Amino acid sequence: MPHVEVLPNSAAAIAPGWTYVVDTGYDPSKIAINPKNKKRAAANPNQRSENELSSRQQTAIARRIAELNRDNDPKQSIPIPGKASIPKTQNARRIIQYQRQIKHWLDDEEAQLALAQQAPLPRSATAASRLAAQPLRRSSTMASVPPTPSETTPAPPAPTPTKPRSSRMDLDDDPLLAIDDSLPPPVSQADLDALLAAPPLSYAASHVAPPPVGGPPQRHFCDNCGYWGKIKCLKCGARVCGMECKDAHEATRCLKWA
Amino acid sequence: MAPKKKGKAAVPSKTLVIDNGAYTLKAGLVSSETSELSYDDCSVIPNCVARSTRDKRTYVASEMAECKDFGELAFRRPVEKGFIVNWEAQKAVWEHEFMDSSAGAGLRCDPKDTNLLLMEKPNCPKELQKNCDEIVFEQFEFNAYYRCIGGAMNAYHPTSLGALPQECLLVIDTSYSDTTILPVYKGQLLHSAVRRLTVGGKLLTNYLKELSSLRHYNMLEETYLLNEIKEAVSFVAPSTQEFSKDLERTWKGRLGDKRELDSSIVVDYVLPDYEQAIHGYARPHDPVKSRMRRGLQPMQGPREDLLPLGNERFAVPELLFNPTDIGIQEVGLPRAVMEALNGLPEALKVAMLANVVVVGGNTLIPGFMDRLEAELRALVPSNYLLNIAKADDPIKHTWLGAAQFASRPDLMKEVLVTKAEYDERGSTWLGKKFAGGER
Repeated sequence: MPHVEVLPNSAAAIAPGWTYVVDTGYDPSKIAINPKNKKRAAANPNQRSENELSSRQQTAIARRIAELNRDNDPKQSIPIPGKASIPKTQNARRIIQYQRQIKHWLDDEEAQLALAQQAPLPRSATAASRLAAQPLRRSSTMASVPPTPSETTPAPPAPTPTKPRSSRMDLDDDPLLAIDDSLPPPVSQADLDALLAAPPLSYAASHVAPPPVGGPPQRHFCDNCGYWGKIKCLKCGARVCGMECKDAHEATRCLKWA
Repeated sequence: MAPKKKGKAAVPSKTLVIDNGAYTLKAGLVSSETSELSYDDCSVIPNCVARSTRDKRTYVASEMAECKDFGELAFRRPVEKGFIVNWEAQKAVWEHEFMDSSAGAGLRCDPKDTNLLLMEKPNCPKELQKNCDEIVFEQFEFNAYYRCIGGAMNAYHPTSLGALPQECLLVIDTSYSDTTILPVYKGQLLHSAVRRLTVGGKLLTNYLKELSSLRHYNMLEETYLLNEIKEAVSFVAPSTQEFSKDLERTWKGRLGDKRELDSSIVVDYVLPDYEQAIHGYARPHDPVKSRMRRGLQPMQGPREDLLPLGNERFAVPELLFNPTDIGIQEVGLPRAVMEALNGLPEALKVAMLANVVVVGGNTLIPGFMDRLEAELRALVPSNYLLNIAKADDPIKHTWLGAAQFASRPDLMKEVLVTKAEYDERGSTWLGKKFAGGER
């Protein structure tokens, strides 16, 4: 018989009687449980941090970027002029008649990758090599903070230098001419082969990382004129620069009415 | 069904080299005897089918040169995000440019006795590559074919000193579809270190289109015009501080505290009317004329429509350096370069930084190279050499590298796959071979 025990948490049962409550000591935020100023509650920086976006804003931004990045307008269709030559094979006919857009192909690729990672297929060699490429990608994104001269990659010191630099070693005896200190260790042939043999990343994985957390904050611009966006629209959170642009913004772009 | 056995020496000496970009395709016929190749051997052809609702004409690829009215011109592009997606349109463009009677004399060829060297963007989905291979052999029936990643071909560019390919080369390709960073070692791409930035020329044009439509006229259908305006007026601010200053100088001021716009930055773009003029031009901002625009136009004499451009001029290309300005969650180009290199061993990183070449259309924006070099220099450790150069012809640079490759029979023999081999072994094998899996 398994032993079941209800662990206490802060959102425990609302049943009448008694409940377990996590004792975190004195919490001033719990005092004002009914804020009187309801209008300002949404803009309260304690609840949502300065740069955090509402889900509506995030959707709007994602849609806008997709729109800016679109190649062809799916609404318009431009027929090919003249009579088309006949496809020579069934296969060619099929490919020529595809009406898919790039996003369909990329989604397909993602789905296949996910499938390949879930179930190790018989061709595990390719899957293994792909997995081997993944940590490489991770480590590179972790190390994307500004480099310092002392930064070194964890490459092992090469046992066999690839370049025949030893022939010129006698010149390097002069300490003034020595450049070995400033030169990183040469790359071993094994490392190089591994790098050259690494399979291509998927399209989605090839994108660069988001900016580091500690980096400079995101700049905000006026939604209307492009000057610094110093004021946040109370209704939708977009930035404007002043009263004039605020009026224009509310008349046209405010997400409140989107 | 057994394919005919052809002699081994049957590989033709003529190669069609295509850098199949989303905006323009760069193409030329290269024969293995040519020793001196130049940019003149390369033709730049719009890779699109365009339809005008005004003159009810459809323009295919190079026919765009005949177009006299770019108003509301709609485009159909076979290449999306750098990859050939729509083969119906791509086939029409290729046939029009290389095979039909409409083809130019220097480009016309019979695929059956021509090799094809086709360049693609990195990280292409495998299904699309497979489609491409099948069309090349089954529809066009090229004699032999090699598909490779365009960026890597820059290592064979003939202007470089010393032996080809260059040992370590870092290619920054900032083109129409996106911006990619490609470390190349002895002509081979280091796949695990390739990085991509969403921002490319297309996004910049569309952004300018959006801004102008919001602030002035509705120009959402005028892609061609906005691209022209972008190429004419945009510039990259030299630094983040200069960007702030320029933004200050182009500000209209507060209500009741209007400021004079700085006419050294703000320009008026005179829009073409497609009757007297096909192309517009920019001139320094003149407040009087712009006020007139709002009021009465002269009844006789030339009417003109003005598009004032202030912070749009530098805020648009700024996206290459600060994609977060419009919410794209990616680091800017200089940091992206460092991110790509951080995956490599230190020695390779040093060598790559000492030989950086920047290609692609966005390099033509004034100030781009200075900003990139300055910001990259700040990120590179101070004891490392940074040697970064703009390609002398950023559009055709990759093509010329590939043409150099194609003119050497010893190199081509290694990589070409003949139609007979394809018929025997199929497209899956071919895909693996081009990916470097099977020798």
